[in-house]
Amino acid sequence: MKVVTGVVGNDIHVVANRLIDLSLKARGYEVFNLGVNTYLEEFFDACVETGADILLISSLNGEAEGWSREIRSLKSKYKDLDNLIMMIGGNLAVGTGDPKTIVPKYEKYGFDLVCHQIDLNTGLDMLQDFVAKRDKT
Amino acid sequence: MNNKKLLIDVGSTYFKLCANGNLEQHFRNFNKSILDDLNHKCKHTIEQFTPESIFICSSANGGLSTLIIGLTHSFSLKYATNIALNSGINIIDTILYQDIEESSIPSDLIDVVIIVGGIDSKSNVFNKPLYEYLSQVSYSNIVYVGNSQDANQVKSNINNITILPNIIDDRLHIIEEELRNYLTNLYQQDIEGKDDIKDLYQITKNQIYSTPYIVNRTLPLIDAKFSVVNPFILLDIGGATTDIHYSKDLVDSNLVTENEFDRLVFKKLGVYKSRESLVFVAKNNEFVGELLMHLNVTENIFDEYNDKATRILMQLAIFLVLCKTSHYRPNYINIKLLTVNSVVLTGGITKVLKQEEAEDIISFFYKKILNSAHRPITVMDKDYAIWTLGSGIEHDDHNQMQHEGEA
Amino acid sequence: MSLLQEERKIILNNEYVESFDFAEVEDFVKNANKELFISHHYAKRTKILVQPRGGFPTYKKQFALNEFFVKANVDVLPLTIDSNTRLNDYGTAAKMLRLSEENDVDMLNGYPLVNHGYRATRKMVTHFNKPVSLRHGTPDARLLIEQAIASGIFDIEGGPVTYVLPYSKNFPLDKAFLYWKYVERLCASYSRLNEPINRESFGPLTATLVPPSITIVIQLLEMLLSLEEGVKSFSVSFAQQGSMMQDIVTGHVLKKLAQYYAEKINCADARINLVYHQWMGAFPTNQKYAEQLISLATVVASIVGADKIITKTNQEAAGIPTKEANAETVANTQYLLRILNGLPNIHDEQEEEMLILQVKAIMEAVFNDHADTLWRKVFNSIKNGTIDVPFSPHIINHNDMITIRDAQKNIRIIKRGNVPIPDKCFDYEKSQCDLSKDTTSIVNDIIHDIGIMQ
Repeated sequence: MKVVTGVVGNDIHVVANRLIDLSLKARGYEVFNLGVNTYLEEFFDACVETGADILLISSLNGEAEGWSREIRSLKSKYKDLDNLIMMIGGNLAVGTGDPKTIVPKYEKYGFDLVCHQIDLNTGLDMLQDFVAKRDKT
Repeated sequence: MNNKKLLIDVGSTYFKLCANGNLEQHFRNFNKSILDDLNHKCKHTIEQFTPESIFICSSANGGLSTLIIGLTHSFSLKYATNIALNSGINIIDTILYQDIEESSIPSDLIDVVIIVGGIDSKSNVFNKPLYEYLSQVSYSNIVYVGNSQDANQVKSNINNITILPNIIDDRLHIIEEELRNYLTNLYQQDIEGKDDIKDLYQITKNQIYSTPYIVNRTLPLIDAKFSVVNPFILLDIGGATTDIHYSKDLVDSNLVTENEFDRLVFKKLGVYKSRESLVFVAKNNEFVGELLMHLNVTENIFDEYNDKATRILMQLAIFLVLCKTSHYRPNYINIKLLTVNSVVLTGGITKVLKQEEAEDIISFFYKKILNSAHRPITVMDKDYAIWTLGSGIEHDDHNQMQHEGEA
Repeated sequence: MSLLQEERKIILNNEYVESFDFAEVEDFVKNANKELFISHHYAKRTKILVQPRGGFPTYKKQFALNEFFVKANVDVLPLTIDSNTRLNDYGTAAKMLRLSEENDVDMLNGYPLVNHGYRATRKMVTHFNKPVSLRHGTPDARLLIEQAIASGIFDIEGGPVTYVLPYSKNFPLDKAFLYWKYVERLCASYSRLNEPINRESFGPLTATLVPPSITIVIQLLEMLLSLEEGVKSFSVSFAQQGSMMQDIVTGHVLKKLAQYYAEKINCADARINLVYHQWMGAFPTNQKYAEQLISLATVVASIVGADKIITKTNQEAAGIPTKEANAETVANTQYLLRILNGLPNIHDEQEEEMLILQVKAIMEAVFNDHADTLWRKVFNSIKNGTIDVPFSPHIINHNDMITIRDAQKNIRIIKRGNVPIPDKCFDYEKSQCDLSKDTTSIVNDIIHDIGIMQ
C-alpha cells in the first residue's frame, strides 16, 4: 500500500518525520515522504500523483488547529480522492489537551484516524487494523 | 573564445549582431523574411564567418507556445512549467486533467502540447477524455512525459507523439534533462509558422536556441561583464513580453534543479506588440495613479504614441513586473524582493531609459508597495549584451561532453 | 577594483548597516591585539581551549554574559546570532531588538550583530580582549561576516553544507556554495594583515546518528573549499557520538586525513585544529545527570586530543541557559581539564583502518565527479546521494542511509543508499550489529539510540 506522509506547516521536526517514514517502510508500506514544512495542497497533490491509499499527516506543536478546518473544502476539489484514508498523528493541541474532545473534533475535519500523543507503534497498529477492516467490507 | 564567432539574436522588434565583440542592432523589416532581412542589412558581416562559427538565438514571433496537461498543480504542472519556462517557452497554458472535459479548446495553433502526470508506478491516469480533448486542438508537436505505464496506450491513441521518460521520479522530484533538451531543440522540428527561423539554418551549422533560454544559462557568468551581486533579478522588457529571471534563493520552492536561475514571462507586458494589454494591466493597478503623478504625467499618456509615452510605458512595465512578483499580490511566484541585491535591466528598454529613470521607478516601488528603505543596485545592460555571454556555451558544453564520451 | 571588492561594496550598502569604513576596518585588523585571534591561541596553547555557547539580544545582556564568562576563566567567548539574522531578516531582528531593549525581555534567541553594528560590538570585544567565536547557522552569511570581522571577531564558524543541510528544507545549496566562497575569500584576504582569521566547520550536522565517515567527509570537503581560497587556519570538528572509542577513532582519523588532504592541494602551511562539541543530542532533564554527561564529554575531548571544546550546560533540556549556569559549566570544565593528567594514548587500529577506507572511498567518488570546480563536485555528490546526511530536512538530501548503534553504542551503517562505502567496510559495519531482529524492533532501537543520553 502507498502512503504519503509529512509534517505540516512550520514544523521542523524532522526526526519524528523520518522515524514515521522508517516505521512505515518496516511494516511494508511504500512511503512517499514530503518532509517538513509541507502544505495541505502538496499532500493531496502527492496522493494524486502517486496513487496513494493513505495520507498520514504529522503535526507536532498544536498548530493543526489552524489549517484543519480547510481540509474538507480543499479535498472536495479533487475528483479522485474519495477512497483516501486520512490519518493524523502527533501533538494536536497546545498543552496536554483532552483526547475525548480532540479525537471527535479531528474526525469531523475529515480524518479517519486521529492519534493525539499516542506512541508511534500503537498508532501504526491502529492504521493496520483500520485498513484490514476496510478491506473486508 | 568569442573572437572568432558571430552571434545573432533575432528579436520580435530588432535583431542584434555581435561580431568579435562589436555589437550592432537593426530594426526588423516585417515585409521581408528574417533571412532576407538579415542578408539585406548585414551581408558584409555575415560573409566574414563560416556557418560553423555563426550562432543564432531567437525570440521572434513571440517565442514558442505550449499547452500543458497535468495531474496536479504542485507536481506535474509545476515541474513541466518550470522546464518550459527555462527552455525559453513564452506562452504556457495549463489544464488540470481532472477538469479536462470542462476545459475550453484553445483557438490558436499550439507549438507543442505536453502531457504529464503520475509517477511510474501509477497507471491508468490518461484515458478517453484526453484523446477526445486533443482531437479538437490544433498543434504542431506533442510530447508525453508522464508515467511509464500509460505510455504505450497514449502512443497508440495519439499520432506522432514523442514519448520521453517521466519528469517526476519515484521520490516526487523533478527530472529536467530530457524534456528540456526536447523543448530547446524544437526550432529544428516542423513548426508551422516558424518557417522563417528554420531558414536560418542556411547560414549556421549550429543549433538555434530561444533567446530566453540562452539568457537564463548565461546568468551565472554575469559578473564577467557587470557589477552584479547575488541574489539578483534580471528584467528583460521587450516589445512583446517581459521576462524576469530570478536567483533561486529568492523564492521558497521545493525544486532541486541544475539552474541557478528560474524564469517567468509576462506576455501581457510588452511595450510594442503588447502595448494594449500593458496599458490595461496598468489601469487596473491601484497605485498607478500615484505613479503617474510621480512621473509628472496624467492618464492621457496612455493615448499618446510618442517617445515620451514609450518611456512612461517602460517605467510602468518595470513597476508592474515588480508588483506582480511581490507579496503585494499572491501569485505563481513570490520573489523575496527585500533580499534582492541587484536589478539588471536588459532588452530594448536600455536603449530608451536612462539609469536614473529606472532607479527612480524601482525606488518608488520599494517605498510605496513594500514600505521599505531597501534599494537594490540597478545595472543597465545598455547594449543588450547579456545574451552574448551565453551564446556558444551550449556548444562548448556539447563539444566537451562529446570529448569525454570519446575518452 | 577587484571583483570581490565591488561585491563587498554592494553587500555593505544595506539599509540596516551604518556606513562601513573599509580603510578603518583594515587598519583595525592590522593592529588588533593578538589576543583577539583564536589562531594565535591555537598556536601557543598548552591546554584545551574552553568555549561555551551563548548570545543575548541586547548589548547590555550580552556584555553581562561575557563578564560572567571571563570571571569563570573562559578561553574563547561565544557570540551566538539570532535566527532572524540567520535568515537575513534584519528588519524583524531590528523590531525584536527594540522590543527587547524597551521591555527588558528576550525577543530574540541570539545577538543581532548586523543591527547592533560593528562599531558598538567592537567596543565590547576589545574591552574583554579575548578571542570571540561567531556561532550561527546562516546560508548567506556575507554581510554578517563582514560585520563580525570588523567587530574584532576572528573565529568564523559554518559552511555551505554544514549550515544548510541540518537546518533548511530548500535553500538552494548551489547558492550557498557561492555565498560561502565570498566568506572564505574575505577571511583569506584579512588573514594577510595580522594573525590568520580562523574558519571552523560545523561538525555535528544533524547530531542524530550521523556516522563518522559522513561527518569526516563533510569536514574535509568544507576544509578544502576554504583552504583553496587561501584561508590559513581551519578547525575541523565533530560532536560527541556516544561511544568513547568511536570518538577517539574519529578524532584520530579526522586529524590525520585533514593533514593528508591539505597537503594534496598544497596547503600544508595551513594550521588545522580539532574542535570537539559536547553532546548535541537530547539532554537528560535531571540537571545532576546533565552535569555528569558534560564531565564525560570533557574527559573524552581530552583523550581525543581536541584543541578546543564547546560546552553545554546542565539546563540544556530546559531551553536557553542562564548566564550563571553557563559560567558554571565553564568553571567546572576548566577544573576537570586541570586535573586530567596522564591521559593514555589509545588507538583501535582496525576501526581506524576501516574508517579511513570508508572516508577515502567517498572522497574519491566526490573528486571523480565530472564537474570542473570542487564546490560543484560536492553539490552533485549530495544531489546524487554519494553524500547522505541522516535526518537532514533538506529536499536535496537522499535520506537513504540508515544507521543504528551496536552494543558498545558505536554508530553503525546498516543501509548505505548511494554512499560508496566499500563492501568490506559495509560488511564490517553490519557485522557489529544484531540484525536478526525484525525491522520494527530495529526502528524501535533507532528511537532509543537517538535518545541514549536521556
